[in-house]
Amino acid sequence: MRRKVSYLALGVAIGAMAAGILPHALPQLTQSAFAAATDTYRQLNLFGDVFEKIRNDYVEKPDESKLIEAAINGMLSSLDPHSSYMDAKAYRDMQVQTNGEFGGLGIEVTQEDGLIKVVSPIDDTPASKAGVMSGDIITAIDDDSTQGMTLDQAVDKMRGAINSAVKLKITRGASKEVKEFKIVRDVIKVQSVRAKVDGDDIGYIRITQFTAQTGDGLKSAMDKLHTDLGDKLKGYILDLRNNPGGLLDQSIDVVNAFVDRGEIVSTRGRNADDAQRFNARPGGDLSGGKPMVVLINGGSASASEIVAGALQDHKRATLIGTRSFGKGSVQTIMPLGQDGALRLTTARYYTPSGRSIQAKGIDPDMVILEDVPADLQGKDDTKGEASLKGHLKNGDDEKTGSQAYVPADEKDDKQLVAAIDLLHGVKRADAAPPKPDSGPAAPAVAAPASGGDALPTPAASPAPDAPK
Amino acid sequence: MTRISRAAPYLAVGVACGALAVAFVGGGASQATSSADAPASDNLALFARVFETVRDAYVDEPDENKMVVGAVNGMLASLDPHSTYFDAKALGEFQNTMKGEEFGGLGLEVMQEGDVVRVVSPIDDTPAARAGLMSGDIITAIDDTPVKGLSLKEAVDRMRGAAKTSVKLTVQRDGDKAPREFTIVREIIKVLPVRARLEGGGDIGYIRITQFNQETYDGLQKAMARFRGDPGSDKLKGYILDLRNNPGGLLTQSIEVVNAFVDHGEIVSTRGRALDQQQEYYARSGGDLSQRKPMVVLINGGSASASEIVSGALQDLKRATLIGTRSFGKGSVQTVLPLGEDGALKLTTARYYTPSGRSIQAKGIEPDIKVREAIPDDLKGKVDSKGEASLTGHLKNGADEKTGSEAYVPPDPAKDAQLIAAVDLLHGRTTAKAKDAASGDN
Repeated sequence: MRRKVSYLALGVAIGAMAAGILPHALPQLTQSAFAAATDTYRQLNLFGDVFEKIRNDYVEKPDESKLIEAAINGMLSSLDPHSSYMDAKAYRDMQVQTNGEFGGLGIEVTQEDGLIKVVSPIDDTPASKAGVMSGDIITAIDDDSTQGMTLDQAVDKMRGAINSAVKLKITRGASKEVKEFKIVRDVIKVQSVRAKVDGDDIGYIRITQFTAQTGDGLKSAMDKLHTDLGDKLKGYILDLRNNPGGLLDQSIDVVNAFVDRGEIVSTRGRNADDAQRFNARPGGDLSGGKPMVVLINGGSASASEIVAGALQDHKRATLIGTRSFGKGSVQTIMPLGQDGALRLTTARYYTPSGRSIQAKGIDPDMVILEDVPADLQGKDDTKGEASLKGHLKNGDDEKTGSQAYVPADEKDDKQLVAAIDLLHGVKRADAAPPKPDSGPAAPAVAAPASGGDALPTPAASPAPDAPK
Repeated sequence: MTRISRAAPYLAVGVACGALAVAFVGGGASQATSSADAPASDNLALFARVFETVRDAYVDEPDENKMVVGAVNGMLASLDPHSTYFDAKALGEFQNTMKGEEFGGLGLEVMQEGDVVRVVSPIDDTPAARAGLMSGDIITAIDDTPVKGLSLKEAVDRMRGAAKTSVKLTVQRDGDKAPREFTIVREIIKVLPVRARLEGGGDIGYIRITQFNQETYDGLQKAMARFRGDPGSDKLKGYILDLRNNPGGLLTQSIEVVNAFVDHGEIVSTRGRALDQQQEYYARSGGDLSQRKPMVVLINGGSASASEIVSGALQDLKRATLIGTRSFGKGSVQTVLPLGEDGALKLTTARYYTPSGRSIQAKGIEPDIKVREAIPDDLKGKVDSKGEASLTGHLKNGADEKTGSEAYVPPDPAKDAQLIAAVDLLHGRTTAKAKDAASGDN
């Protein structure tokens, strides 16, 4: 295989993801492919043998293209939890979600032990208005049990035409309280940046995911904060809690809005010469050098960790919260013509100081735990990348996730309060100093809030209703 | 969990396969000079393209065998819940089970259902049964390793091991709030497929078949011979054949079992796409060992596959009265197709039909007399087998599919309403309970 050119193209391809068109991402097959090892022949023979047997002997005439899709999916899932196959529909969905809007309820869901679980309802959507809560288990959709459904199937059933209704049956909390919701679908816009003024003089910016609009959204938000606060602006809080990630180029733009120079992140594939470095564009800093705090928790993954890691290494921000998820790999989306697309792990990324956070996460500078309501205790933890079956290994000191609970009421949000206090110069007694092994105080029980393969990746945008 | 397997003739797939390898490695449809038709080679070209891409672009050098096994598993899982891939080790274990050999384990029959592993039934007198595992339980973790993402084989491998070692199972029982944990010490599991005893005060021969492996017919013959000695043919009023929670097994053995109770007529027929899958099986004259004494067959939601062949045939031939609740509904036949040193494929190759021509796929067999067990309060709602019709990707069978039924058998025979109804019937008594049930929604 001729790799060098492809790999440069791949780098460009990651940036081009937003456009969703990657005409040349697939390496061209060349004669060198014939040099495959004997073992490769044997492996492919085995596959061909099975395929032929199914074609000849299966009780019904099989749909061969479905067989191949399932084979591709099986092959990719065997690699790591973030490589997968998207069929034509899933691929279209991903593109729609990356950019825009769809008819749905506004729930981020994940699959856990076969159960469909709400990661969080998205603010201002039919789901959050109806009262669907983080941690709810969806047991039936329009009276169809979700048992045995894949995450995709469940998401497909929840999506649909605007103004149509869908019935959800859920169980909630330790008491397994059963509730039924009838919710009317609406246009779900992926609004990834929200901003407001906190403590009279602090610009609070929450990024829920890294979509194609995130960089622009952040710029508008910061412009507005400047207009509203002017010279009063003391500093920024960038809230990346429960942000599962998204597009790599957007995470770079976000960092660049707070630093003016230096490396932001580098990626490395299988060969040393595939390495890419991304540096800040001088003049990109919109922050005027004002102090900033970044909030992270066990639900901060991937592109969020690129941002948090870069700002920490640059000593540009103080990180407050709990240890992040630990997804340190980059996926590339490779279209397969009309056949959907591959999402393939092609690189690891490294923060400016050269560390990989894969299966380790980022430890905050100040560990602050939230007070978790009794009925959610032990259920709000993400198990993190290190707990995912088949995750890419990263040495002996891997670490699992941490809390992923954010109190609905700001006054109860100890991490946010700590951030405001820090920016106001208030000293605190309860802030733990950074320790190498700080992080989750609560043990990770059987409830990763957004684990599984449902975490979005730098290359694939998170998908409300389907963080996949 | 399917246990029906037969050696089936191979077609000449080898030739095509050799050519396929060229197609793969060349990576283009134009290279495919095999017998594969155009759509197949397009599809294979797509697979080849992805394989090459992964090999080339993946972040680390990938393990090609793992990739191909992943692909094969993915492909088979997409067909139906009973088609699977056995690597060489798993094939050996499967063959051992069918031979009735011994292994160190817990004594659980399990099946894969979507991402999870579900207990079909615990085998009598095994650590799993004594620990209280139940049909329908979902095993979510084995020694704290989540089952999600494990293949069925991997899950079974983790449960098996040397006798006297222990294993921790995390189990989600339908309706439970929190998962339960069981720490179970492994034992040598000897698969004894037939158990027999006298019931009804000594004049009824009770035979329980727990699965259909290569020992089953022998065991049945011996049991029936024993009954002819004690209580003796004169005294023996009839037979109870208990197929409750019997997940199935070998097709040939189910045919022999039916033949032990009938002397002529069709037992079962199979139909698939391949010609060698069109078969009709008839009773061998002289095979009947039962002297036409009356018999009852007990079935419930855990009676599947080969059990349903037996009960369906005996019902259609009006040889037995079926008592219990609706059976599981697995009406397909799997064939184990060897793949040389790479193990084998267990592939669904046919549907089977009872002598009257019905397919019980996703419908199950309705008993002639419906009798339900009294279920202890703490197990209520937790002992139903959901049946074939509830399995993701099951073969469809018309619009009137039906899901499973209860799969609970009281450990104490004195409290076993289905067994009592069977004894009463053979003694010529009809209990009020049975009457009510028969006129119910059966």
